[in-house]
Amino acid sequence: MTTTELWTLIPLLILACGSVLVLMLGAIVPGRCGTAIGVAACAGTALWALLAPPQPMAPPTLGVTFTPFARFFLAFFAVTAGLSLLLAHDHAARQGLKGEEYPATVLFGAFGMGVVASAANFLTLFLGLEALTFAFYILVAYDHNRPASGEAGLKYLLMGAVSAAFVAFGIALLYGATGTLEIGRAVAASAAGGGIALAGWGLLLAGLAFKISLAPAHLWTPDIYQGGPTPVVAFLASGSKGAAIALFLLILPPLGGIGPLRAPLWGLAFLSMTVGNLAALLQPNVKRMLAYSSVAQMGYVALALLSGGRGYEAAAFYAVAYGAMGLAAFGALASLEGETPLEQVDDLRGLGYHRPFQGVVLAVAMLALAGIPPTVGFAGKFAIFFAALKGGEAPLAIIGILTAAASAYYYLRVVVNLYMKQADEAGSRQRPTVAEALSLGIAALAIIILGIWPGPLFDLAAAILL
Amino acid sequence: MTSYPILTILIFLPLAGCLCLAPVWSRRAAVRPIALGFAVAELALAGWLLVTAPGMPTAPGAPAGYFLWEDAAWIERFGIRYLLGMDGISLLMGALTAFITVVAMAVSWRAVTERTALHYFLILLMESGIMGVFLALDLVLFYLFWEVMLIPMFFLIGIWGHGRRIYSAVKFFLYTLAGSLLMLLAIIGVYLIHGDATGTYTFALPLLAKAPIAHAAAPWLFGAFLLAFAIKFPLFPVHTWLPDAHTDAPTAGSVILAALLLKTGAYGLVRFGYPLFPEAARGFTPLLSVLAVVGILYASWIAYAQEDMKRMVAYSSVGHMGFVALGIASWSPVALSGSILQMVNHGVTTGALFALVGMLDERTDTRELAAYGGVWGKAPKLAFFFLLFAMASAGLPGLNNFTGEFLILAGVFRTTPAAAAIAFIGIVLPLIYTVRLVQEVLFQTERQPLQLPDVTLREGALLAVLALIGVSIGVHPKPLLDILKVPVALLTGTAP
Repeated sequence: MTTTELWTLIPLLILACGSVLVLMLGAIVPGRCGTAIGVAACAGTALWALLAPPQPMAPPTLGVTFTPFARFFLAFFAVTAGLSLLLAHDHAARQGLKGEEYPATVLFGAFGMGVVASAANFLTLFLGLEALTFAFYILVAYDHNRPASGEAGLKYLLMGAVSAAFVAFGIALLYGATGTLEIGRAVAASAAGGGIALAGWGLLLAGLAFKISLAPAHLWTPDIYQGGPTPVVAFLASGSKGAAIALFLLILPPLGGIGPLRAPLWGLAFLSMTVGNLAALLQPNVKRMLAYSSVAQMGYVALALLSGGRGYEAAAFYAVAYGAMGLAAFGALASLEGETPLEQVDDLRGLGYHRPFQGVVLAVAMLALAGIPPTVGFAGKFAIFFAALKGGEAPLAIIGILTAAASAYYYLRVVVNLYMKQADEAGSRQRPTVAEALSLGIAALAIIILGIWPGPLFDLAAAILL
Repeated sequence: MTSYPILTILIFLPLAGCLCLAPVWSRRAAVRPIALGFAVAELALAGWLLVTAPGMPTAPGAPAGYFLWEDAAWIERFGIRYLLGMDGISLLMGALTAFITVVAMAVSWRAVTERTALHYFLILLMESGIMGVFLALDLVLFYLFWEVMLIPMFFLIGIWGHGRRIYSAVKFFLYTLAGSLLMLLAIIGVYLIHGDATGTYTFALPLLAKAPIAHAAAPWLFGAFLLAFAIKFPLFPVHTWLPDAHTDAPTAGSVILAALLLKTGAYGLVRFGYPLFPEAARGFTPLLSVLAVVGILYASWIAYAQEDMKRMVAYSSVGHMGFVALGIASWSPVALSGSILQMVNHGVTTGALFALVGMLDERTDTRELAAYGGVWGKAPKLAFFFLLFAMASAGLPGLNNFTGEFLILAGVFRTTPAAAAIAFIGIVLPLIYTVRLVQEVLFQTERQPLQLPDVTLREGALLAVLALIGVSIGVHPKPLLDILKVPVALLTGTAP
């Protein structure tokens, strides 16, 4: 292994070795150091990804690169994983979930996401995708006290397997059509690859639609979000969605104009925005509601991807924006959960006054998801609709903005319950621990600061896609 | 003096007040003076500008008419700038905002006993947002403030409101959001179309207005702006959120809603709608006039049928704002000055009426007309102010509303006599419901033995100030009209 290769691999190695280390230490000294090591590994990866000097291009045989794109997403995944670990630590203790496998698997999932973002050929891409999905099979089913968690894990496994099959077959067809697994070359060559390449793209899109939960491939999402442990859902919403967006951004821009893929992606975006928002309107379960909301939010991302050009930047920006909003929303819910999970929107009654910190974070996340300025949700939506109009997708943009207006209703429902209704048994809800407060504080600050001052992140998103 | 970022201070001083409330959050005794202190400081600043600014020359780098100007890069990737400017119109609206905020704080001084800090926090936050709306000249910055001012009002109605407060709060929010989201698309559309046509991609109003859009999409874009503004106005038939929001809002919320939020719609149309799309706007003028006239007549008719005082005043608002819309639609210097003056008048008069209804409600816990009667005998001072502002609202000459309505009708008569003729009826109709209001509440024999102590010193002082302003504008509106002269002439293209 050359030094260049080693330098390229370091951020991924930190995550992978961190995961193994946590697992082994857990067997020797079962204690509480797993989260600490995990957070340290995440911080290390993020710092390395952001601060390491530019590296020469690694040879293609390695399968991964350390491009600005990879750095950006590595840092993002490491931060979301670290914040999720902070959320999970005390939550797991309250719900009686023991074992260092939890933080270890979170780290492994982050490793998988990192591999996706740094992949240079389709094989590593697929392996990364599988690694991260595999981590979530375990994490979603981790809460052995609740049957719903196991059920969710099984559903996720089945859906994940189907989607993996689609992706694998799509990659195989692309390989067959172009004769190379290198992403850049395969994408370029696929333009002349005829029907087989097109079928490959179609299958890939279908598989990814599952991952990013675009309607009509979204049916698993509400069950998984409802059943999984809430900090895991926070990580799933922020990290896993981000990884799927990163994957799209790896393969779509080199394609240069999505051509025949436009029609299916248009349909997916349209269905996601409408179905997601409409289904969330009357959903009484808060986690299911946020699941449908995530379907809708990914519909906006699909709109951005469809528009091309500035849309890719908007999608990269929105990955971070949704990451912050998802962490804040699910993190606040997780921090309120004691032994019993928080189920209904009604359960939030009056919590804005009894648990002011979590209430504010949740309310900010809701307003951000609804796209109200000055939050990152507004900046992201602005960029998406900007790109959509610029890319000539005006009809879909109008549909999207109308569904966004409707969506405000269910986001407001949470805020209404937090601040405008009387609590009946607020005493049973948790106050935030230090770790949770830190994690929530970072997410909420990111929502506000990136909303008021989104310029640098927009510039960065544009720079990594060059 | 131009070296200080006065406009930024105007916008962010209330926000600083919000932050200063944090350390004393749970101490009601400390919260109120601090909040009021910031509001009064803001009012002092705005008042000082009102006195000194008319003589100021155009600021360096600013288009004609703008005597204060701030411009800084904000989100360069999209060409969005932090662009603020103040001309005569913004000045009047800004001063009104600072004044009404103080009024709103004063009327809720005793009424709000729960979550006091949050209440004042939201009022200050809203002041920042509204001030931003009146000063921003970059379309995206304007949109940002436009939405920011929604949230505090939503909370004010939802937390301290009465009756179906949550329903009304959500309805208010969704109505306005739906309109403004389409405006957001139109804003982006303006940017792209203007940029494609001229090569300069910008959200800055002065640049955009220099080369108005002559594209087939212009009517659609204007339509989106108009919808957002019409909902805020509110124009018939998108006014239905207003009676609910007003009725269920706490007094401070009603005062701010009527006196300030409604003005943002009219202001937006004057500042952005017409200058950006002069051609398309002309095409919409008949529609706007018809809606305005229908609104005036319909609102007066409905107001007469109300049994709830607050609802009656709320419908009267719809009617008054119809006059403002009518004046804007004619886009002639006289009518437009009248409209802007009427915005100030309506803010003062209707704000005062809502404050009075709030005071009655505070004393007796009812707003039903049928419950009152004989107030003149029980609380003569309160009744005097009630009569005064009711008469002002009905357009009695010598009081402020008359000046605005007169100018509007005089201006409109020259452009569209038919509309003016019908609108004249709209001057008479308010008399009918106002007389009913005054007769039933003040003069009717006592119908229920209500405990009605007269105004306190705080309330009396507040009402006296409002009355003083009302009478002085009614008798001598010239200083305000002088401030408006230059910007209105520039807007209507009649500048020398």
